[in-house]
Amino acid sequence: MKKKLAFIFALAFALFIGWGALTPTTAQAATDDSLSQVQKKGKLVMGTSPDYPPYEFQATVHGKSKIVGMDVAVGQKIAKDLGVKLVVKSMSFDSLLVALQTGKVDMVISGMNPTPARKKNVDFTHLYYQGGYSIVVNKSEKGLYKDKDSFKGKTIGAQTGSTMFNETKKQTTGTKVKGMTSVSDLILALQSHKIDGVAMEKPSAQAYVANNKQLAMIPSHFDLSSSDTSAAVAFKKGSTSLVNAANKSVDQIRKQNLVNKKYLPAAGKHLKTNTVNTSMWHYWKAFLTGVKYTLIITVCSVFFGFILGVILSLARMAHGGVLKTGLRWLATAYVEFIRGTPMMVQVMFVYFGLGLIVNLPALTSGIIAISLNSGAYIAEYIRGGINSVDEGQTEAARSLGLTSASTLRYVVLPQALKNIWPSLGNEFITLIKDSSIVSIIGVSELIFQSNIVRSDTYRGVAPIAVIMVLYFIMTFTASRILNYFERRMQHD
Amino acid sequence: MTKPIIEVKNLAKNFDKNVVLKDITEQVDPGQVVVVIGPSGSGKSTFLRCLNLLETPTSGQVSFDGQDLTTLDTKRVNALREEMGMVFQSFNLFPNMSVLENIKLAPMKVKGMGNDEATKLAHQLLQQVNLDDHADAFPTSLSGGQAQRVAIARALAMNPKVMLFDEPTSALDPEMVGEVLNVMQDLAAQGMTMVVVTHEMGFAKSVADRVWFMDDGYIQENSTPADFFAHPKTDRAKDFLSKILM
Repeated sequence: MKKKLAFIFALAFALFIGWGALTPTTAQAATDDSLSQVQKKGKLVMGTSPDYPPYEFQATVHGKSKIVGMDVAVGQKIAKDLGVKLVVKSMSFDSLLVALQTGKVDMVISGMNPTPARKKNVDFTHLYYQGGYSIVVNKSEKGLYKDKDSFKGKTIGAQTGSTMFNETKKQTTGTKVKGMTSVSDLILALQSHKIDGVAMEKPSAQAYVANNKQLAMIPSHFDLSSSDTSAAVAFKKGSTSLVNAANKSVDQIRKQNLVNKKYLPAAGKHLKTNTVNTSMWHYWKAFLTGVKYTLIITVCSVFFGFILGVILSLARMAHGGVLKTGLRWLATAYVEFIRGTPMMVQVMFVYFGLGLIVNLPALTSGIIAISLNSGAYIAEYIRGGINSVDEGQTEAARSLGLTSASTLRYVVLPQALKNIWPSLGNEFITLIKDSSIVSIIGVSELIFQSNIVRSDTYRGVAPIAVIMVLYFIMTFTASRILNYFERRMQHD
Repeated sequence: MTKPIIEVKNLAKNFDKNVVLKDITEQVDPGQVVVVIGPSGSGKSTFLRCLNLLETPTSGQVSFDGQDLTTLDTKRVNALREEMGMVFQSFNLFPNMSVLENIKLAPMKVKGMGNDEATKLAHQLLQQVNLDDHADAFPTSLSGGQAQRVAIARALAMNPKVMLFDEPTSALDPEMVGEVLNVMQDLAAQGMTMVVVTHEMGFAKSVADRVWFMDDGYIQENSTPADFFAHPKTDRAKDFLSKILM
């Protein structure tokens, strides 16, 4: 009976959360005020995955890291024609369409092909660029490959969620297809011979080959319709007025051939300046930003997680009337649910799911998600800690006339805290590392920053080594500090 | 005739199906020292813990100063607990605080006493139990006898009307029993109302005004120590005394 009840509670809880995500999709097509909304806001938010030069990538402009590339130029043109300011938001390619559907961004320009499947979920403008696919290989092995059919028994890599990934799967036989989130990871995999070729759009391939002497490119000879090889701007489904307005800009771009004449050469210049100084020292600011956000996320999450943990643990130990029993079930269901789902899913849920109701910035979403997660774990530590304090302590305090709240605060919790300090310290150190999960929603913590440096410098390993050292410095310092307080709490 | 300070009527307590207290009706007058004796498992500790509601009675009434505790809300119960100090077999000092802090906690947090006043009071009480030189020590560094004396001082800090002692010397090494009993004797001499559960028959004989003999969930005898030890009325009491007095 008890188990069954707990299950029902967990289910109800899950449904409650899920409900928020499911309802709004039906209410979309009602009225289309997308254009006036953007004009009212005075800004147009563009989502992109800046690891795809020359479409979009990070470059250091006047000492500041900035997203540049031909897609950004397209975005700027659209925003300018609408008379609003362009705001560029970066996130992983996989998350782009979700961000669009949940209103995190107003449009997506990320070398995205308007495939029929995508067209079902979002609206596309006319094409602003038509390219083709190439395959990047190691220069030393260039002689081995002619086109996509030369990779029998070999592995081709492609960006997860991209058209290339699907087409490579469909149009090759006996070839393994390896998907990775970022192109710079794919290039690294290629250079370390984990994969034998990387399928990508021609302009990107040209950029990589121009910047890296060890790479070469070959034609792919994929059989593709024009919608598969071309790029368009994506808007939320049903925002016809906005699409029509953007189409005017896109048509101008095509008519004046702006991409080839202006945008690509400009992007190429950034690529050149980008690779001038690829030493890690040159990027210390980027790493520092990463460390800063990693620490902000961790400290805030542990703080709020601890408060939540105390509340949850007390709720889980509540005994008495219907209200307290209900509270106990609810807290138990929460803890079980959070522990039973991956943190990554929780982070995405808070950012995209909760984003349907309130528009939270990525950093806030990340802190909320990790606090909610860590609260569940800390609650269990605290519950164990409180149970480990002798019942006689409570009795002595109560016999002196202390209220149950004062007893908890002055007598039980300090002792519980001492008992669970090593576990809490462990949680803190784990969070320093696990906070990296929020990089998927584009928070510029350490992992995210290292990815930027990697695509900036075309150096795959060095940034990883740097952040490894940085993470270790942070966790080691944290563990020293925690040990110091642990010693101070010992009275015997 | 003085009004009784503690009045117990038809008190019963069971833990699930285990009936510990069956039907107890007794009273304690102000200034009285009552010693509760009886074989292990006879319900002595449970009885004592029902007096300040650390255990909730299953039925019956427990009145303190004319108020029935079983009918009061938590807030009022907390207020009345201040007036009943309790000393435990296992001391239950707070290990995360120094001796001084142990004593100061309740006066400051419950009565809202200022730090200076509480410190002064704590030193006074420590002098009373001969431990002022240990004010800054932590409980883990104290001997059992010292810890129990601190526990008594801690209970006294709330200026209680009644002190409840739950086998205060049972966990002590024999050579430390005396120092604790001396403190209790002094308290009794000062006129403190005390209910003491103990196996120290010497203490019962010399300090108690009344001896309650408890067995099988009932108070079997209630008499003066002289009467009880010389002329036990029930067979159970005779049997008990023959075992402990050899």
